[in-house]
Amino acid sequence: MLVRETGVTLLSISLAFGIGCIILWAGGYSIPAVFANLWKGAFGNKISIGQTLTQATPIIFTSLSFLIAFRCGLFNIGAEGQMYMGAMAAAVVGIYVKLPGVLHVLICLLAAGAVGAAWGWIPGYLKAKRGVNEFVTTMMLSSVAVYFTDLLVAPRMFLHDTRYGSNQTVRVLGTAVLPKLLRPTQVTWAIIIAGCVVLLVWYYLFRTRSGYELRAVGQSPSAAEYGGISVKRKIILSMCLAGFVAGLAGAGEVLGTHTRFISGFSPGYGWDGIAGGLIARAHPVGVLFSAFLMGALRAGSMQVQRSGAAPGDIASVLQGLVIFFVIAPTLIRRLIRWRRR
Amino acid sequence: MPEYAVEMRGIVKRFPGVVANDGIDFALERGEVHGLLGENGAGKTVLMSVLYGLYHPEEGEIVINGVPHRHYRPARAIGLGIGMVHQHFMLVPRLTVAENIMLGQEPIKSGVLLDREAAVRKIGAFSQQYGLPIDPRARVNQLPVGEQQRVEIIKALYRGADTLILDEPTAVLTEQEVESLRDALLKLKDEGKSTVLITHKLREAIGMCDRITVLRKGRVVGTVHAKETNERELAEMMVGRDVVFTVHRSEKTGELETAMTVEGITACDDRGIDILKGIDLELRRHEILGIAGVQGNGQTELAETLTGLRRTTGGRIWLGDSDLTGQGARAFIDAGIAHIPSDRHLRGLVMSFSLRENAILGRHRESQFSPSPFWQKQGAMTRFTREIINAFGVKTPSAGTLAQNLSGGNQQRLIIGREVTKNPCVIIAAQPTRGLDVGGIEYVREQLLKMRNQGAAVLLISMDLDEVLMVSDRIAVIYDGRIVAIKDPESVNRRELGELMLSGSVSSEREAGDES
Amino acid sequence: MNIFTIHLLLRTLRLSSPIALIALGETYSERVGIINVGVEGTAVLGALVSALVSFYTGNAWIAVVAAVIGGGLAGALHALWCIQFRANHVVSGVAVNILVAGLALFITSALWGSRGTSASAPTINAWYIAGSALVIVILSQIFIFRTKWGLRLRVVGEKPEAADTAGINVHRTQYIYTIVNGMLCGLAGAYFFNNLGYFVNGMVGGRGFIGIAAMVIGNYSPIGALGAALLFGFADALQMSLQGYIPSQISLMLPYLLTVLVLAVLIKRAQVPAALGQHYVKQ
Repeated sequence: MLVRETGVTLLSISLAFGIGCIILWAGGYSIPAVFANLWKGAFGNKISIGQTLTQATPIIFTSLSFLIAFRCGLFNIGAEGQMYMGAMAAAVVGIYVKLPGVLHVLICLLAAGAVGAAWGWIPGYLKAKRGVNEFVTTMMLSSVAVYFTDLLVAPRMFLHDTRYGSNQTVRVLGTAVLPKLLRPTQVTWAIIIAGCVVLLVWYYLFRTRSGYELRAVGQSPSAAEYGGISVKRKIILSMCLAGFVAGLAGAGEVLGTHTRFISGFSPGYGWDGIAGGLIARAHPVGVLFSAFLMGALRAGSMQVQRSGAAPGDIASVLQGLVIFFVIAPTLIRRLIRWRRR
Repeated sequence: MPEYAVEMRGIVKRFPGVVANDGIDFALERGEVHGLLGENGAGKTVLMSVLYGLYHPEEGEIVINGVPHRHYRPARAIGLGIGMVHQHFMLVPRLTVAENIMLGQEPIKSGVLLDREAAVRKIGAFSQQYGLPIDPRARVNQLPVGEQQRVEIIKALYRGADTLILDEPTAVLTEQEVESLRDALLKLKDEGKSTVLITHKLREAIGMCDRITVLRKGRVVGTVHAKETNERELAEMMVGRDVVFTVHRSEKTGELETAMTVEGITACDDRGIDILKGIDLELRRHEILGIAGVQGNGQTELAETLTGLRRTTGGRIWLGDSDLTGQGARAFIDAGIAHIPSDRHLRGLVMSFSLRENAILGRHRESQFSPSPFWQKQGAMTRFTREIINAFGVKTPSAGTLAQNLSGGNQQRLIIGREVTKNPCVIIAAQPTRGLDVGGIEYVREQLLKMRNQGAAVLLISMDLDEVLMVSDRIAVIYDGRIVAIKDPESVNRRELGELMLSGSVSSEREAGDES
Repeated sequence: MNIFTIHLLLRTLRLSSPIALIALGETYSERVGIINVGVEGTAVLGALVSALVSFYTGNAWIAVVAAVIGGGLAGALHALWCIQFRANHVVSGVAVNILVAGLALFITSALWGSRGTSASAPTINAWYIAGSALVIVILSQIFIFRTKWGLRLRVVGEKPEAADTAGINVHRTQYIYTIVNGMLCGLAGAYFFNNLGYFVNGMVGGRGFIGIAAMVIGNYSPIGALGAALLFGFADALQMSLQGYIPSQISLMLPYLLTVLVLAVLIKRAQVPAALGQHYVKQ
């Protein structure tokens, strides 16, 4: 089963890349040049790999965020906003609370998760108690979060770093910083934390009672109710957990990559998380692969842009195409059958 | 005019894994009522669906009014004068009767607008002509089931049907409504219409049809005249062996102590309308209490309130000393109430979960499966599932097979195994034999009797009056959300039961009431 | 009535129109059972195509038509995925949004060298589109509730089996009205372009989702969608009028906050088409 699923995913990726080639060709771009630079930017040298991993790290978290909600039958497309809220919380605790080393980082992470969870709670509650569509509310709250955090670090606001013009905070205290792992790359301990969270999420979903109940609600709310499970509570719980994990994404960026909160720091990691969750077929371990793929695409696209071989955004197009093929299981199956004849 | 309205020759229809129709010959004479009899899965509905154009047969010929036709869809069948009234009505609940009937053949005024008045007039005319009273302006979801069926029949006639196919029309009707249907069929005969009646009910087949064709496992066993046969002969043709008509209940053993008391329960249905209007029941140990009633009188909702799946708006539910009123499903489960749900696909199983994960549904909080919230014992789950598979004869490749890959009968076995091994003090069994074959049905009844003998209090809700009569120690009749009578199955007569189920009271009582 | 109020009123009417178009489009497709959250991306596509075609042909009217066609194609793609390949409706819509977002960045970079922004191009007066939105809404109200095609499409979304046995082609109906949905969103996208004069990333800014919210609050009817759209359009207009008086971030937040609040308060478990989101399999 697992082999077949992986095969379907790989086939989807190939198809997507195939169509991407057609688009490049239509635009008069050199396909070999584009792919060479894509590869170079993603895996070419240590710096590139570091870039891939750095980009992949927050996407691991946001993919897990989408996945947890998805497993409960919900569509959390607000990971971007939950991430921003978490990032802000991490920055505040990182700047103003004085604690020794590891403890400080831990508290920052918890704060980020908690605030992210709170931001996820709102749409969760509305869905459970009032039946409000969560993809509209998560989307709306995402925009609100981005504007809100931007406001908090704007000039004349309390958190703004007056030394600079741009909307950002001062640097967090040294005790809150996540140290770098692979010098001279930007990779920090955040990726290790991300990997641990992947395992935790897997364990939660497939080896605990609560995770079992959550999945049951996602597959069949009526059967879950019959089994004595509170559907409403699970909906709220799943959105809180989703928000928590997305908040951690923000913490990773603030404590690791940037060491401060910078408005607009995310080039769309939240949205990549949706792609990552879908491509991973909603399986936690698959997220490692899909987030890595997204990170590679992002890193590669930067190199493609630099080299001038084509607009770097071809990577975004590729990403969109991959998703399209991955989500249509019958399409792939039909193609395989058609091939076999 | 050809003698036969419809001829079907050598029809073969295959589905993945099964041959539903295996070389069937069928001929419908003009102006007759022809019964198509067989068990669940014999292929009756499939055959008629082929006639109606819903399915295309792999082999065979279809001749309508002397002209052969192939590969057509329902639109064409309607054009050829064939109308089908399905077992599960094809009516849109939110729309009116008129909108439902005129669908596809809408009268137009001013070029583009719907002419609702014209439709209402035409429907009224049909209603009169065939003696089928309906209200064209009513919304379908507010009509009783019998009236909905009349709407379906008029729908077919409105489209110009000369040949009507009725699929299990009496499944949801009471004895009196069945009488009305029989009168309507006679009227249809007078008007020259031909009717196929799909049914698995022997008595109705004999009572309403001119000729009867019996199907078994996709093949024709024989065609007989209703006047020249009897129930026993038909039953044998249907199942191929001497059918035992009664199940012997052992004498009640042990004390009949009360396990569960239900007082004055009221509840609303999904639309917010009062459906239960004051139910009083007593479930006793070592006893099967059967609930008899026509679909739509609150049986489903009753089962849901007794298992915590539906909020009550009044009344109390007692299990021994505990008051379970107002609690959710979890409290009922913890109190020892087992539930075999009427819809196993919706409630009883998570279809995309494996058998392992389904076997503990409802029991997953027990410490043998989950000693703490952070740990689920996978091994214990698998062992437990294997025990159920073995003890209850669930045919499956493994415990990891997905529930959706099992047949209906095996799914039901798993559910029963799961519920029964809880050693519950109360079992609520809602439609437990629905959709099962003869072997499955017998098995389920056996298990219920076994639980009853072991001391459980069993509540059996079933639309099959024969089943209720056969298995229950006491019968409660539900009508309009109330229990109107509790009878002893040994001494009650069917006509009385029918009246209770339809009108809530017996005519002799009513007459006595008038005189006073 | 002072000048401020008149401006606000006019702005409200204008800004409601794309939301109304999107809400109406979604009403059509959900009434036949297809959920389309890709309306956001489809509107973006409409705006992009408008800019493109207007830039290269110099004719803004043709650009509008092209936007409608482009939107229809996006709708067709979504319909194909949902109906033929049985993709989860919401997931497919999300995929449309992601794909269009990527395409927009790529095409603007490729053609104009500027990531996410196009060059200016000829426009028509956006009021034409706003006006046509009103007309389309009214016609749709009559169409859906008073004609035979409207009856048929409603049945497809409520109970496809009933439609099928009445001889109605369920899948074809679903394709048609999802394409109509796409076309209306394409038109909304054309509005965004003609309102601004060029394409820029983020110009639709979540209004596709607000359109979905408007449809829900409008209870799946065209007139209801229009009413709800006016409400959200008002919030949008208010936000613009308040700029300069309050921090821009707060005024920008307003429409989104309002949507959440309105949904939280006004939602009723109402007229959702019974077969929404299901994959209908006919024999």
